[in-house]
Parts: sequence; C-alpha cells; structure tokens
Amino acid sequence: MKNIRYYACPSSVKDALAMLNSRKYKAMALAGGTLVAKTLPDTVETYLDLKALPIKGIKLQGGGLVIGAGATFDEIDNSKACRAWAGGIVSRAAAACSSQLVRNMATIGGNIARPHSFNIFPVVLLGLDAKVRVVSSKGSELLGLPELYAASPRLRPGANCLITEVLFPAAASKWRCEFVKLAKTDSSWESYITLFLAAEKRGGKVAKARVAVGALSPKPFRAAEAEKAILGAAGSGPAAFSAELEAARAGEYRAAAGAALLGRFIASL
Amino acid sequence: MRPFALKCKVNGLAIEREIPSSRSLLDFIREDLGLKGTKEGCGEGECGACLVLLDGKAVNSCLMMAVQLHGKELVTIEGLKGRDGGLHALQKTFMEEGAVQCGFCTPGLIIASEALLRRKPDATLEDIKQELTGNLCRCTGYEKVLSAVEKARDNRNA
Repeated sequence: MKNIRYYACPSSVKDALAMLNSRKYKAMALAGGTLVAKTLPDTVETYLDLKALPIKGIKLQGGGLVIGAGATFDEIDNSKACRAWAGGIVSRAAAACSSQLVRNMATIGGNIARPHSFNIFPVVLLGLDAKVRVVSSKGSELLGLPELYAASPRLRPGANCLITEVLFPAAASKWRCEFVKLAKTDSSWESYITLFLAAEKRGGKVAKARVAVGALSPKPFRAAEAEKAILGAAGSGPAAFSAELEAARAGEYRAAAGAALLGRFIASL
Repeated sequence: MRPFALKCKVNGLAIEREIPSSRSLLDFIREDLGLKGTKEGCGEGECGACLVLLDGKAVNSCLMMAVQLHGKELVTIEGLKGRDGGLHALQKTFMEEGAVQCGFCTPGLIIASEALLRRKPDATLEDIKQELTGNLCRCTGYEKVLSAVEKARDNRNA
C-alpha cells in the first residue's frame, strides 16, 4: 500500500472509467478491498473507490435476477430477491464465502473482476449461464464468463473497465441447484474444491444439467462427464466425473469427494 | 503525495484529519489515534484481531484503507461501553466466564459478538459459532467464549 498517492471516489461510472484509463493516475478500482489489499501491485498509485457508484441494487426482472456489482456478499446472502430466486442458490453461495467479516465487505463485482481459483461467484455464474455487464470507454457489453475471460487483455475489469451488474437468466430460475464448498473450515477462503450442480426436470426426466468446478484452476470449468451423468447418459456416472477431475489434476481426495457429491446430487433428483 | 482530508466519527466523536492516502485503517487507529485496543495479528484478514465496527458492521481494519472511513462511523473496542459508562455487557461476561487468557484476540471477539447481537439479538449457539469463525484464539479453546456470548445475549434479553 506504500505506493498509493491518491484516493478518488467518483459518483459516476463515466468519471470512474476516465480515471481508470488515464495514464496520469495509474489507478486500480477498489470495491470491498478484501482481495485488493492482499494483492495490490506496486505499480498502482491511485485507489479508485467504487462505493459511491450507483451499482448496488438487487432485483428480480422478467424472471431473472439482476445484482449490482457493488452488492456485498452479506447483502446478497440476506436479499429477499436472491433468496427467492432458483431456490436461493445465489444467497447460499454468498453465505459460503469465508467469514461474516469478509462477507460484510467483499462484493460480487470484485469477486469476478479479480480472478482467483478460490473465488465463489465465478463458479456459480458459469453454472447458471449468467452474464456480466462490462462498461468500458467504448461502451457497454453483456458477456458470459467464458467470453469475459477470452476478452482479456482488451477488457480487464477494475483496470481498464468496470463490471456494473450481473444478470442471471430467467431460464435458470426453475433449476434445482446445489453449491458445495469443501474447505478446511467454514471460514477458510481457500477451498479444496467448489462445485455448482444443477438440473432441470421436464416430464419426470432430467432435461438439462450443469456442473461447474472451481478451486482447481484459476478459472472455473464446466464438467462434461458430470453433466452427462446427471442426464443419465449411458456409460457415464460419478466414476467418469472422478476421472475428469483427476485429469484436471484434482488429486485423489478431491476427485473422490467430487464423485461422491455428484452421486448424492443425482440421488436427490 | 497529496494528503486526504478525512472526516468521520470515531467512538462518537467527530474527527477531521489530513492523512496519507496510503494509510491502512489499522495503522490509522493504532498509530494516529492511539487506540491500541485494536490489535494487529495476521495483517491479511484471517485472524480477526483487528476487528472494528464500521457503520455497525464488523470489518477487518487490516484490509481497509483509512480513506475508506470517510463519512462513516467507526467504533473500536475503546468505544464499547456499558449504559453506566463502565464495562460493556460482553466485557463483563467475558470476565465472568473466564473467556480471556492472553487477551490478544479478545477485542476482536467482543467486536464480532457485539455486531452479531446487534443484528440478531436472539442469536443461537450455532449463529454465534458461525459469526466467530473469522476470529482465531489459540488459548481458550472457544468454549468459554461461546458461553460468555450466550450469557451476554441472555442478560440483554432478560
């Protein structure tokens, strides 16, 4: 933090972007600050506090869920809209993040903008086919998580653009979803593995499946074998998912745990 | 470096100070304000020794910049008092239950417990355990801490 020379707290996204993209300030966006404080590059000279930006609301919209990027984990955990949507999966995922102390500060936008394998929301976003609205000096774009990752370095949220909101699609609102974080303790930020599992049943059969895996690599990934297993495809099952995790260098324990969790989810459908 | 004109409230008192933008909230509390009850443990948000109440919510002051305090209200362990101006109810029950040994983590534990009881006056034992997951104590084994918080809750609701 010793290299920080300036502090700014703009009240509009336009002003914030102007500062982020000015070479004069060498600015970095600061939302909750729980990750930034730990990993601040020495080259940053200006803290650009996002707390005054109008990007905090949470609402249900056309069957989907819209969360402002500035919403904290605690606000998401306790939001009526989040608790009502898709069985409250987004709230439950927020509640699984670290301790209450971190949930009071950390925001969903920061959790997405600063990629780390232990971050919770990227796994949930990937599983729920959510999109993020990214605003840069060239305008606004709505991107899925894989597209956002692919857009780097053109788009580097918090460095040259801002995430302003996250949109969870109406189509996912009826999915049966689970989120599991396996970690040393409930309050551990580090986790052994995070899993998002979802299924949509139509006419008594599973018609759609989603499995996203986190904590094994800097970016979460969809697990094709696990999705096939939920759909009941021949030759697939928890063992195939275990092999898929092993291939992702999960190691024996995490591969076995992942397979067991998938088996339980399938049994619960 | 341009100093920042900070305006905030600390333990009920309005404060105006010029501070370097690079100052951490923890350093501001301990070094600039001289409030040494807030401790520095891990310095990276894992141990909870540096907890303070910011607008009524418990936060790790080691993970915050002092400039983020602007326009807000801060309460440190020194600002928690009983109705008679003496010890706070949680401070009393921590003493009564023997929940203090070396005492380094105690301010953080009391701040976290106070934040919980303000938010959830009828907090269950499970709620208390969950709330205190961000506080590390290497002496007490936590059992007496939990008893002290439960006792303060019961006294408050009596």
